[in-house]
Amino acid sequence: MSYYLNVLTTVTINMIAILSMYLLIGLTGIFSMGQASFMCVGAYTAGMLATRTSLPFGVVVIISVLAGLVSALLVGIPVIKLRRDYIALVTLGFGEAVVALLNNMSNITGGANGINNIPRKVNLWIALGFLAVVIFIILNFKNSRFGRYCIAVKNDELSAAAMGINVSRIKLISFVIAGGITALAGCLMAYNTTYIEPMAYGSAKSIDWICYVFVGGVNSLSGTLVSGAIFNILPEVLRVVYIYRILVQGVIVLLTINFLPQGMFGEAEIWTLIKDLFKKKKKNTVVSKER
Amino acid sequence: MNILEVENLSVNFGGVKAVNNVSLTVEKGKITSIIGPNGAGKTTFFNLVSGVIPPVSGKIIFDGEDITKLSQYEISHKGISRTFQNIRLFNQLSNLQNVQSALDARAHYNIFEAFLGLPGKRKVDKENREKSMYYLEIVGMADVADGRPNSLPYGMQRRLELARALASNPKLLLLDEPAAGLNPAEVEEFIELIEKVRKLFDITILLIDHRLKVVHTLSDKIYVLNFGELLAQGTSEEIRDNPEVIRAYMGEEDKE
Repeated sequence: MSYYLNVLTTVTINMIAILSMYLLIGLTGIFSMGQASFMCVGAYTAGMLATRTSLPFGVVVIISVLAGLVSALLVGIPVIKLRRDYIALVTLGFGEAVVALLNNMSNITGGANGINNIPRKVNLWIALGFLAVVIFIILNFKNSRFGRYCIAVKNDELSAAAMGINVSRIKLISFVIAGGITALAGCLMAYNTTYIEPMAYGSAKSIDWICYVFVGGVNSLSGTLVSGAIFNILPEVLRVVYIYRILVQGVIVLLTINFLPQGMFGEAEIWTLIKDLFKKKKKNTVVSKER
Repeated sequence: MNILEVENLSVNFGGVKAVNNVSLTVEKGKITSIIGPNGAGKTTFFNLVSGVIPPVSGKIIFDGEDITKLSQYEISHKGISRTFQNIRLFNQLSNLQNVQSALDARAHYNIFEAFLGLPGKRKVDKENREKSMYYLEIVGMADVADGRPNSLPYGMQRRLELARALASNPKLLLLDEPAAGLNPAEVEEFIELIEKVRKLFDITILLIDHRLKVVHTLSDKIYVLNFGELLAQGTSEEIRDNPEVIRAYMGEEDKE
């Protein structure tokens, strides 16, 4: 039982990280190929503070998120004015650079050995609590003027600017928030697995996240959640044929892009779909009464 | 009183002088038009005024203020709004939200209020939705508020773009070929709409169009551009009888 709880905790934490990717790609249309490195930033901040100081869990979480926000700001300021495809390239380079840095600064980070013996302070309920908070924040963000800016910027930067939207500012805001959320996920991951090493957070992970968002539906938060859950639970289900895991994932991505170019949910949210379903049922009953 | 004064504005793309030494003024409350053959630099001129591209030389004075070096969104906040020749709407926002985007850019609540969905933010959003609805009603599209722009017919997309441009409460409205692609009946409707909007909001309009009917019915003053240079200026009648203009612009149309 505790094994399954463990798996679910990891899945929940990964979903927090994937939500940051939804914010970037789904809302703002920024391709960050090095987003996992912000998870690294959060995880190492938490790992180092947890093993070398006696700061309480809550404080470490706050410091990790701040570290994520600040590093995203530092990367974001030069990157955000670039064209969309160049942003992908630069963030890819940044992500790999972070991993290489952590690997080679072995006196501080433990190098390829990573950091061990982090106290285990995250259980499923804490992780779910943080996930709920992140969903709440992102949903509110999406339904505010900032969320509409993001979509406007994704659809058409030129006319967004003509409406008075500061395009590079809103891109930076979304990049920084995403960095903070990813760092939060990293911090929780460190407290969950009690062990961190840099190689797990390379560009492959960032690209995985991009795939999850596309399969779920680029403009659908619930779609991202559903596909994130599927893709994270799938490897555990396929444990017996572990080597084919990536193959299965690739096939799912290809099939989705071919047959559902908008993703599983497209632009719809799961709750609006359910609402529509009920409305249709009501309409049907009205029609049948008239008959 | 002139709301817009452009002095010796020039820009070139490589060796092409797209806009060369153009000076013109737009009088407050009037409708001024720019006409000219294809490639005359009309849209480039709009892009210069609205800050999409920076000019090589020259000055743009709007409402007594030099806006030459301002960026696009700052110019929008100064009170210049525009529509686009090839319609540019936000296809993943609803029609109402498209209009609201202009109001959002002027809303004042910070990001933390947005994160938490505080009452202050909700109040502002609600007011802006109602205002957006008002602008949609003006262009006669209140019934399709929840639809998406890409499922609208062409004429309605044009009207939606106009509503969005109006929502930013501009002093000067730049319309880039607003009647392009409309059929004669729609053109009539559009002319009526522009007249109505001008009376309702008391705004100044600078207009580019190929349809001489639109230009001659609406304009108080017309400027003619050809190969990036100002060819002529005057009232509708003066332009119609100007031999140079006929040679450069209408003469070519007659041959076809």
